Amino acid sequence: METKEAHAENPKKNMLTLFYQFRELGLLFFIILLCIGVQIRNPSFLTGENILDLATNTSILVILSLGMMIVLITRGIDLSIGAVIALSGMLTAQLVAANPSINPLLCLLFGTVIGAVCGMVIGLLIARVGLLPIIATLALMNIFRGLTFLVSDGEWVSSYQMSDGFVALAGGSFLGINHLIWIAVFFCLVFFYFLNYTRTGRQIYAVGSNPQSAAVSGIKQGRVLLLVYTIMGGLSGLCGVLWVSKFASAQGDTASGYELTVIAACILGGVSIAGGSGKLAGVLLGAILLGILNNALPLLNVSPFWQNGIQGFIILLAVIVNAIVKRRVDRTHLLRRAG
Amino acid sequence: MLNEFVLEMKGITKAFPGVKALDDMQFQLKKGEIHALMGENGAGKSTFIKIITGVHEPTEGDMYLFGEKISFQNPNEAEKLGIAAIYQHVTSYPDLSVTENIFMNHEIRHPTWKTLNWREMHKQARELLRELGSSIDPKAQMNTLSVAQQQIIEIAKAISTKAKIIIMDEPTAALTARESEELYRITEKLRDEGTSIIFISHRFEDMYRLASRVTVLRDSKYIGTWNVDEISNDKLIVAMVGREINQIFPDKIVTAGDTVLEVKNLSKLGDFEDISFSVKKGEILGMTGLVGAGRTEVCQAIFGITRFEKGEILLNGSSVKSRNPQEAMQNGIGYLAEDRLEQGLVVDWSIEKNVTLANLSELSTYTWLHRAKEKEQAKTFGEKVQIKATSIFDTVHSLSGGNQQKVAVAKLLTKDLKVILLDEPTKGVDIGAKAAIYEIVQQLAEAGYAVLFVSSEMPEILGMSDRILVMKEGRIAAEFVNRGVTQEMILEAAMGEEPVQKKSG
Amino acid sequence: MEQKKQTYQPRTLETQLPFSWKRLFFQWEWMLLLILVAVLLFGSYVSPYFLNYPSLRDGTMVFLDKALIVFPMAMIMIMRDIDISVGSTVALSSVVMASLYTTAGLPMEIAIVACLVTGAVCGLINGLLIVKFKELSAVIVTLGTMILYRGIAYIILEDQAAGGFPEWFGFFGWGYVFGIPFLLIVFAALAIVFGILLHRTTFGRKVFAIGNNPTASRFSGVRVDRIKVIVFMLAGLLAAITAIFLTSRMGSTRPNIATMYELDIIAMAALGGVSTAGGKGRVVGVVIAVFIIGYLQYGLGLINMPSQLFLIIVGALLILSVAIPKIGSLMKRK
Repeated sequence: METKEAHAENPKKNMLTLFYQFRELGLLFFIILLCIGVQIRNPSFLTGENILDLATNTSILVILSLGMMIVLITRGIDLSIGAVIALSGMLTAQLVAANPSINPLLCLLFGTVIGAVCGMVIGLLIARVGLLPIIATLALMNIFRGLTFLVSDGEWVSSYQMSDGFVALAGGSFLGINHLIWIAVFFCLVFFYFLNYTRTGRQIYAVGSNPQSAAVSGIKQGRVLLLVYTIMGGLSGLCGVLWVSKFASAQGDTASGYELTVIAACILGGVSIAGGSGKLAGVLLGAILLGILNNALPLLNVSPFWQNGIQGFIILLAVIVNAIVKRRVDRTHLLRRAG
Repeated sequence: MLNEFVLEMKGITKAFPGVKALDDMQFQLKKGEIHALMGENGAGKSTFIKIITGVHEPTEGDMYLFGEKISFQNPNEAEKLGIAAIYQHVTSYPDLSVTENIFMNHEIRHPTWKTLNWREMHKQARELLRELGSSIDPKAQMNTLSVAQQQIIEIAKAISTKAKIIIMDEPTAALTARESEELYRITEKLRDEGTSIIFISHRFEDMYRLASRVTVLRDSKYIGTWNVDEISNDKLIVAMVGREINQIFPDKIVTAGDTVLEVKNLSKLGDFEDISFSVKKGEILGMTGLVGAGRTEVCQAIFGITRFEKGEILLNGSSVKSRNPQEAMQNGIGYLAEDRLEQGLVVDWSIEKNVTLANLSELSTYTWLHRAKEKEQAKTFGEKVQIKATSIFDTVHSLSGGNQQKVAVAKLLTKDLKVILLDEPTKGVDIGAKAAIYEIVQQLAEAGYAVLFVSSEMPEILGMSDRILVMKEGRIAAEFVNRGVTQEMILEAAMGEEPVQKKSG
Repeated sequence: MEQKKQTYQPRTLETQLPFSWKRLFFQWEWMLLLILVAVLLFGSYVSPYFLNYPSLRDGTMVFLDKALIVFPMAMIMIMRDIDISVGSTVALSSVVMASLYTTAGLPMEIAIVACLVTGAVCGLINGLLIVKFKELSAVIVTLGTMILYRGIAYIILEDQAAGGFPEWFGFFGWGYVFGIPFLLIVFAALAIVFGILLHRTTFGRKVFAIGNNPTASRFSGVRVDRIKVIVFMLAGLLAAITAIFLTSRMGSTRPNIATMYELDIIAMAALGGVSTAGGKGRVVGVVIAVFIIGYLQYGLGLINMPSQLFLIIVGALLILSVAIPKIGSLMKRK
């Protein structure tokens, strides 16, 4: 009797399972719908220029989302990245202001190292001392932000203090495509390889999926956590340099609250806060969706003051829909096992 | 001479602060043998496994692998030397694929680039599974598989590490007869290929079917090793339990009265189907079956923790609905959870706060808590079940398993209950404490409670119950009046392949 | 040794603990008191205007507004959850109140009631989402509502400020009763109410039970979901009360007020001994921690230290207060 019922419901449930397995496709579908909608309202949306513009503006979000994804996969969270961006951006900008002739690539390296050190501190507190990620990163967000104000003494570093070479880091283009896009593509490829084809990459998933069995399998969890937060910090540091170069100014409150946008992109992309799961394609689409919203809302003459509210609403809606679908899928698995 | 043994352990002792988890253990494992390890819960079996697999380091004693003295710092080293364990609770990665679960931490990599070779891993995973007679898709996600399938993956994982010694910890606990048979077949195949297997199980039939030798542990101590065909069932029980089994059960004084709890056609999709039974005042109704047969699910549905979809629960003849545990207790139903540390007790709290947790509303006016009354109640009920502690302020985690269980029982006694559902009340307590818990269960029945006694252990089901229900795959497979019932009859009902039919006797 | 225990010796359980000096003094709160004294000495050292009654009294007005939320936040953290949307809730409640008064022209009394209702509803939404979607965790839910609530505040007021409240409304932020700031009196009253609620009632007992073992609590008949929703609602309500005091003191409001309040509040609770892993915490400790952080901020302000230094100090205090117990136990293990 039980099997009969299960069979009767099967086709629908299987559709759901399918949807869940290929939820990236669902997201893509939604993005396409959104694009069509926007295009109908404003034909200047899908022009080559605007698309490149959109991609340039989304690149930093994509890079940061990759880092946040691996943090979330290990069941962690990093709220400090906005502050790390500001700190590394400010220090790099000061470096450039003091030595205008410095090689821009050296600046990138400098910022990345600063970020990686910040990330390593967080990683040590979480992996070695055993603090909760949310508490540790909340506290360090404050400290990094405070340091930024201290080193800058509340002053801005503005565009006239920056060398042309430095501004060209994020402003220049190669083959007609902005450097930022190239950098984002580069990191996507690196992460794809890292997560799918290296042992360490898979260990990140293992630690998040089941910490107890990871311990039994002999995976060194502390090292994985330390690595993950250091990578996140390094990426934030790098993005700090790009950010300052792109907007041609470094301020104490640069990227304030940006961590929320990054986390939102990951969650939209289907990364589970409970750890263990998350795909690069999903995160990429999540970041692109947010990028499109940011780009399209002004084109649709939506007041900028609505953007926060709309973003918050979409995030909540996405996580709730995701949770509901996942519940139904789990139930299907349960039924299949029972039957 | 030494080389006769693949693994030899001499005088292994493991001490934790305050307890000796394993005391002077001796063990010898031959090449290509299946060696059964038996003992009650808490006898030291899991500590023993953890020492072999390098999770724990022994405090004293020596281990020899192929005649060479060894010591492990961590599980990796044990794995490299060819020791693999399949744990009782399947320790898989639910979010990852079958292939990945099999090859976790010993992935196949490109020799120079160190790149993971997925194609090769999938291929080998498929081959491994085929050898084990299974057609599971290596790309399937682990959490979509059944427990039996997951067990097969664990075995495949052990084989993939080229393990020479495989430890199987209660692998049949959740398997049906057919699945167990499949597991026996695989185990024997491994043995014939020269792998040595340590097989840990509660079930005597596992041992008789598979093992050539058996080692018994009791109270963290080594009792002895025998050839399976040289030791009788009774002698083995005495070795495991330390006394004749029937001595530890209290004498039955049957005083069953009117029917108190009646369950009619209870169903919940995927968990249980068409469950009907009744319990009388003063009666102990035993409920048994395989792990995962749906016993806990039925109890939790009656107690209002989960909802059921069809059916009815009657208390003293009138229908009751409990939407949550609080309402269930108001209705007069109490539940002693299976996992007392996770579900039953707040272990960091004192005995006092634990005992009174379910009864706070009685001890307060307008939510203001009367501390004096609370202490008094904790003392009264704590003494009633004879908790072994100095004061009511002792924290629960400082107590032994048996005494912790008494705290959980005392908590139930504070409520005005008619029915008590006991879910594996003796799980993980030592034999002495078991006897004390049996005594308490008997007293509950004598005091007029209707008792539903859920257990996996046949001896205590047979020793305690007035009637016995056997569950199988979410249904009641058989019902016996406990007169002349044997373990074999119960197992037949719990594991048998024939369709479920209602027996009465 | 358990084996001999089958006989029926009557066993008694003590109900009195013997007096112990160690138990009396080995407590986090004494440590906090020492830190508070150190902060006061530091203040009097750096500024002659710091250590006297009027100064200490009026200094409380600078920091006590947000400290009101620390009580429900402590409860939330005891239950192993977290609420990072409280700052946004303060902003939204304040903006609703101000715009109802200025734009809609409603009486201030009604605007205040609307403010309280807004806060409570924000908390209710948090609580319901957390309870209904347990897999999301409080972090994600309140992260989402944090963006949403502030977003709504921006939708209502855009980048405008709203003010021009009736004169009597200033009493909340600036008023004195018998020479004591009204805010301080409210804080003290709330400290007592929450102290009783948490340590002397069945409600508080259940909050601790949930923080120590949610499953065992539910199995023991504790209505876990209901209690969680109530506590999150309390956090929203207290955020609204904070909004009233803050708006009154500033005389006007903007959608960006109370940004990052959640951090200071979590830091106060953690420093006060509320375990971030749940299950532990006392109101006394939290109250002392509020004054430590508050007077530190006030003292630094008196000597014109950059307020960013304060950010660093709060962050460092938060880390130290959660790390010290952990490091202690790490050392013990080795």
